[in-house]
Amino acid sequence: MSKLITMNVDGQELQVEEGKNLIDALSAVGIHIPHFCYHPALGFDGNCRMCLVEVEGARGPQIACNTPVKEGMKVSLSSESSMNLRRKVLEFELINHPLDCPICDQAGECKLQDYYMEAGLSKSRMEVEKVAKEKNLDFGCGVVHDQERCVLCARCVRFLRKYTKTAELGIVNRCDKAKVTTFPEKPINNRYALNVVDICPVGAMTSRDFRFKQRVWFMSSEKSVCHGCAKGCSIYVDHNQEKYKAERVYRFRPRENAQVNGHFMCDAGRLSYRKENENRLTTAKASERFEAVDIATSQAVALLSAAKGKAVFIVSPSWTTEQMAVAKSLATHYDGYLSGYADGYIVKGDGDDLLLKEDKAANRASLELLGISTDRQKLISNLKTAEVVVVLNNDLSLTASDKREFEALFAGKQVIFVGSHRIALADSAQTVIPCASYTEYAGVVVNVDSILQEVTCAIEKECFARRPEQVMAALSGNAIKAELGAVRQQLSASVPALAQVDWNAIPENGLNLKGGAQ
Amino acid sequence: MSAEVKPTRANKPFVFNAENEAKFQKLLTRYPDTAALNLPGLWLIQQQDGWISYEAMEYLAERINIPVTQVYEVATFYTMYNLQPVGKYHFQVCRTLSCELRGGEEILAHLTKKLGIKPGETSKDGRYTLTKVECLGSCGSGPMFQLNDDYHEWLTVEKVDEILAKLP
Ligand code: SF4
Ligand code: SF4
Ligand code: FES
Ligand code: FES
Repeated sequence: MSKLITMNVDGQELQVEEGKNLIDALSAVGIHIPHFCYHPALGFDGNCRMCLVEVEGARGPQIACNTPVKEGMKVSLSSESSMNLRRKVLEFELINHPLDCPICDQAGECKLQDYYMEAGLSKSRMEVEKVAKEKNLDFGCGVVHDQERCVLCARCVRFLRKYTKTAELGIVNRCDKAKVTTFPEKPINNRYALNVVDICPVGAMTSRDFRFKQRVWFMSSEKSVCHGCAKGCSIYVDHNQEKYKAERVYRFRPRENAQVNGHFMCDAGRLSYRKENENRLTTAKASERFEAVDIATSQAVALLSAAKGKAVFIVSPSWTTEQMAVAKSLATHYDGYLSGYADGYIVKGDGDDLLLKEDKAANRASLELLGISTDRQKLISNLKTAEVVVVLNNDLSLTASDKREFEALFAGKQVIFVGSHRIALADSAQTVIPCASYTEYAGVVVNVDSILQEVTCAIEKECFARRPEQVMAALSGNAIKAELGAVRQQLSASVPALAQVDWNAIPENGLNLKGGAQ
Repeated sequence: MSAEVKPTRANKPFVFNAENEAKFQKLLTRYPDTAALNLPGLWLIQQQDGWISYEAMEYLAERINIPVTQVYEVATFYTMYNLQPVGKYHFQVCRTLSCELRGGEEILAHLTKKLGIKPGETSKDGRYTLTKVECLGSCGSGPMFQLNDDYHEWLTVEKVDEILAKLP
C-alpha cells in the first residue's frame, strides 16, 4: 500500500491512498462516485461526465476519474450543486433512452437506474420524439446489443481493443445517431466476449444465455471459484429456487481478484454453470441395477472389504483439497492405491496469455501438495492386479486413447463410480453412487499459480446427492474422518505448505501458498 | 445530418493507384504513428474512387495497421466521406442555421425539383447526388452549397439555374 494522505469529502476528514484517482481512492473507503465510462481495468476515457464533482479551488467541476487525490483536497459530492451536476448529466443521458426497464435484464443492477434514483428524478423536458434505434442486435458470441439503452461510455469498445485486442466494436456516426456496432459481417469473435455484458453499466449489452431468465433481485450470490480450468477465476454463483422448481444456478459472474483473474473471466468458464444443472447423476446402481443410495453404498463397502490390498482409487483432479485428503484416507483404509491421473484434462493449445489454461483440472496443484501420484504407468500397473476400481469423479474418457485403454483395463473388475455427472462410467460401472458437484459443497482449491481459494456451497442438494466426502466416509464404513474441520486440521498437520493456513479466515482473494496472503 | 449509411460493398478489391500510393508513402513519413493516416488515407481513397467502399475500409485498416472498426468510426463521423457511390455532380447543401435563415430551404427545394431527386439520393443516370450537410464554414455568405470541390455562395434560385445550365 502506498502512502496515505488526508482529504476532506463533504466535510468529513478521510485517509486515502496517494496516487489514485478520486473514484478509486474513495471507493476503497466505501464512497461511490457515480460514473459510467471509467473502469479500473480500462483506465479513464473522460467521455461520460457522470463523475463530475466539485473540488475546492478548482476552476469548475472536475471529472473524478481523471483527478488524482491530493493532500488537503476538499471535495463535495452531496452538496446541492454537485447533485445538480449529476441531474443535468442524467437528463442528457435520458433524452433518447427508451425507459424499458421493466423488460431490461440490467434492471436492479443498472447504474443509470441507480443514479437516477439518487440524483435524477426529474421530469423530461423533451417535447420532440425520441430517436429510435435498433434493439436485439446479435453481435456474436452470445452478446446481444440494444442501441437505445446505450450511454456510449465506450467501455465495451475499449475492452475489446485493450484486453482481448480483437477490436470488433466501434462507435460510429455522431450526435444522436451515434451507436456501438460491429463492422458489417464481422461479429464479435473471441473467448472473453461476454465480459462486455458485465462491464456495460446499463442494459445495452445483455447475454443471449441469461436474457429473460431471472430478475437479478430474486437471485442470491455466493463467492466461489470457477472449475473450468486451472486458473480458478474467482466468481459469483448466482442461484435461485423458483416456486415449485428445483434450485439451480443461473449464471456465473467474475468476482474481482487482482491475484487471479482481475475483473474478468472467459466465456467457457462463465457458461460452465450450465453443467451444474445439466446431465447430473441422480440415481445409484448396485449390481448393475438401480438401487437406493444406501444399498449401493453397502454393496460397495462389501466389495471393498473383500478386496483389501487389491483396490485402486482414482480421484478427480478438480475435487477440493479436503476431498482429496479424504480420498487418501479412504485408500489407506483399504490398503489400496490412490491415483490422481488426469492427463485427459489437459487440452493442448487451449491456453492463452489472458486467463485460460490448457489444464482443465481445477485443483491439480493439490494432488502434488498431498503427494498423490498422477503417473500413468503406475496407475496402469496397479490396475493390472486390482480387483476393485473406485473412480472418484475422475473422467477417464476425456481422451479417446485413454478411454479405450482404461475400458480394457477395467474389464472383468468390479468398478465403483462415485460421481456428480452422467459421464460414460455412470453407465458402464456395476456400482454407481451420485455425489454433489462444486456449487453444492465447500472446501478449497489451489490454482496453477499456487493460490488457494475457497469454494462455497451455493446450493444444497441433500435430497439425492451427498457431498463427496460424505460418500467416501460411508464407503469406509464410517471409519475415516470426513468432517471439514477435522480434515483441515489433519491437512495443516501433514502438509507443510498448508501449515499456516487459517481455515476460518481465508482471504476473499485467496492465499498465495508461495508468498503468503496478498 | 445526412441519412445513415452502412459500409457498402463495391464487390471488387481496393488498391491505391500509383499516384495515390506515392502520396500515401509520403504521408507515412510524416507522422510517428501510422494510425494518424486514418483521415488522410480515407481522403485519398475518396479522391481515387469518389467514395469509400467496404473493401476500401478494410484495405486502409490493413495498410495502417489499425482495427477496421476504427476506420469505420472515423469514416462515419465526418460527413465529407461518401460511403456510397455519388453522381458525377455532388451537391452538398448547407442546412445549418445561418444558411437556413438566408433561404437555404428554398435553395434545397429548388434543387430537389430541378434534379428530380430527394436529399440523400442519386439520379438514375448517375449524374447528380444531392446531400444535406451541416455548416461548411461559409456562414457569412449563405445560403451556399458545395458542388464537388467548389463552394457556391450567396445563392439565389436564379443563380442555381445558371450553375446548372453551365454544367457540362
Ligand atoms: S454498450 Fe454499454 S458498455 Fe458499450 S458503450 Fe454502450 S453503454 Fe457503454
Ligand atoms: S479462465 Fe479457466 S478458471 Fe477462468 S473462467 Fe475460464 S475456465 Fe474458468
Ligand atoms: S467516469 Fe469520468 S468522465 Fe466518465
Ligand atoms: S451555416 Fe451554412 S455554411 Fe455555416
